[in-house]
Amino acid sequence: MDPQLVEVTQIFARLKAALLRNDFGTCNNLLSQLKVLLTKYPSLPPTFQQTPTAVEELQIARDIYEHAVLLSVKTEDQDAFERDFFQLKPFYTDTCGLIPPSPQECPILGLNLLRLLVQNRIAEFHTELELLPPNALENPCIKHAVELEQSFMEGAYNRVLSARKTVPHETYVHFMDLLAKTVRDEIAGCSEKAYDSLSVADAKKILMFSSDQELSTYIEEDHPEWEIKNGFVFFQKAKESQPCKEIPSLQLINQTLSYARELERIV
Amino acid sequence: MTQEVEMKEAQVPSHSVSSFSTPSTLQHLKDIAALIETGAYAKEVRRIVKSVRLTIMLRRKLKASILSAFLSFALSPGSEAHSKLFSYLPKEDEHDMDVDTASSAAQGSVKHLLPEIEIFCYLLVLIFLIDQKRYDEAKTCSSNSIARLKNINRRTVDVLSSRLYFYYSYSHELTNSLAEIRGNLLALHRMATLRHDELGQETLLNLLLRNYLYYNLYDQAEKLRSKAPRFEAHSNQQFCRYLFYLGKIRTIQLEYTDAKESLLQAARKAPIAARGFRIQCNKWAIIVRLLLGEIPERTVFMQKGMKKALSPYFELTNAVRIGDLELFKTVAEKFSSTFSSDRTNNLIVRLRHNVIRTGLRNISISYSRISLSDVAKKLRLDSENPVADAESIVAKAIRDGAIDATIDHANGWMLSKETGDIYSTNEPQIAFHSRIAFCLNMHNDAVKALRFPPNSHKEKEGAEKRRERQQQEQELAKHIAEEEDDDF
Repeated sequence: MDPQLVEVTQIFARLKAALLRNDFGTCNNLLSQLKVLLTKYPSLPPTFQQTPTAVEELQIARDIYEHAVLLSVKTEDQDAFERDFFQLKPFYTDTCGLIPPSPQECPILGLNLLRLLVQNRIAEFHTELELLPPNALENPCIKHAVELEQSFMEGAYNRVLSARKTVPHETYVHFMDLLAKTVRDEIAGCSEKAYDSLSVADAKKILMFSSDQELSTYIEEDHPEWEIKNGFVFFQKAKESQPCKEIPSLQLINQTLSYARELERIV
Repeated sequence: MTQEVEMKEAQVPSHSVSSFSTPSTLQHLKDIAALIETGAYAKEVRRIVKSVRLTIMLRRKLKASILSAFLSFALSPGSEAHSKLFSYLPKEDEHDMDVDTASSAAQGSVKHLLPEIEIFCYLLVLIFLIDQKRYDEAKTCSSNSIARLKNINRRTVDVLSSRLYFYYSYSHELTNSLAEIRGNLLALHRMATLRHDELGQETLLNLLLRNYLYYNLYDQAEKLRSKAPRFEAHSNQQFCRYLFYLGKIRTIQLEYTDAKESLLQAARKAPIAARGFRIQCNKWAIIVRLLLGEIPERTVFMQKGMKKALSPYFELTNAVRIGDLELFKTVAEKFSSTFSSDRTNNLIVRLRHNVIRTGLRNISISYSRISLSDVAKKLRLDSENPVADAESIVAKAIRDGAIDATIDHANGWMLSKETGDIYSTNEPQIAFHSRIAFCLNMHNDAVKALRFPPNSHKEKEGAEKRRERQQQEQELAKHIAEEEDDDF
């Protein structure tokens, strides 16, 4: 085996050990060393050169990036997750014929879907979803994310929250916590439009707060326009479109003139 | 998706059929070659466009013997293209060959070979190979022709080359190797951009989009589309395709309003004969309209020749219209194979929440006040806590503007609001204005789209000017004569 690859394997072993100990500082250090080392291999994306050791290199590189993604989930660093995931993605899409598929593939793809859901990037969620082959949709990890999105779009937020209990993979819990926050914002947005007012107790229940204190700080920070009075939360509704009283004369004149001009051109 | 190919043939003008019915196919080909030559010398792209159209008409009549006769007529025997192209054709009986080579030898030596003719020969052979289902040979032949094209930079070749690009990609699609040529297509697109070959750019952009969408790479497709230069469309077919791909991308990215516009426009602009293409457009347009909460009219499904293909979508629409989740589920399962071959399965999954919305809207219209538990029952929400689910679903529908109502949490009611009089707002005026603007735009576009042969106008003016000049000269002469008279 080539000495460089041995070095990579050794550092990678240390990274795995550190990840098990949840020693994130060391993990990050080791990971950046590994990433620098990986840049030296021509067999990796984007060049994909055919070298005699390509298969081993591709496999270890994919393993490393998979661990990088898991690490970023544990440290709850969404930006790092996005970066690492994009580095990992070519291994899943473009190396089909070269190395056997990874057992981690579906959980990680599912995680990415979940991340997009947490960040409320629904368009990208669907773009990613289209890339998956039909049989991948049967995979519990991906199905979980897809069902979450459906409940999310329908507005069945209770189902979204109860899905936390049925996570298919332990790493999903991190994102489910973040999702709860997104869901709360959504619920707040909906309640604002749907109710005139709510009793504080009900509002607390709907927005999933355990104490009145949390509720009032949330309202102060995120929705200063709401009002708490006599044990009720009043939502300030946006003014409905009133029936028009005035004739928009200037606009009408402009439109009529432009019609006249166009008609003149036709006749 | 392969039906799209039919589209190109649709533009064939029917009146020219009669004029060409008597002479042999070989004679046709020679006529077309002559047309290309005059086009190339006069630099009139219009003539070459016409020749391509005529060629497509001859497509069904192409035979190996005719083709080899034409090749030996058009190409000089020793040339590289000649030997390459002949390798794709089966060997002919001696007699036929003798006659033709003899006649061509005389002509070939006099005539110097135009690149247009050479490319045209490539195109013919390529079409022939594809029609004979010899796809692997078609692949190599197209790759050869593309390599040759890279060295030719003439605007009169553009029309022919854009057809070659198309068959290049098509032959690879048929052999399921589209991914291989992506880099090549990108390079060709860059080249076309540098050479201001707009037709080529248009064609290649569409081929690239098709290439990406074939592998569901919507992200890349959108990135390319938004960055590629856009200009006024040169070819209606290419524009239709572009609109279709654009509509698909936008559908995936949830921009339904824009997607609907593109898809409907594509379906309308497509020639009548391109039935497969129009069916595809309609399928997607139906789903997008359902996703928007609209119900397509019955006439959409009853269009001529589409009734059968659209019937799964008709049943789907019906389920959404009634707002019945059970029915929706059975329809989705019943036709799941159709939907997955159309690659619309994921979109249909998205429709589920529209079914609920429609059901909810029906409830909100029929009842001014209804308890949330009844709502849950009517929507057939089967979960542990149907009332809470119904409440949040109703709340979201209110926020998204699907229904106009409020929720009374304490009593567990949904109260529908009175619908206001729309005619007391500015709404009708705005709608009226947008319709007028649409009509005026249509008129202006129609005027712009009128085409005149480029030179006839100039010639006419020249004649008028000459007459004017002669008149002036005559007057001048008269004047001088008069002056002379005065002098005396």
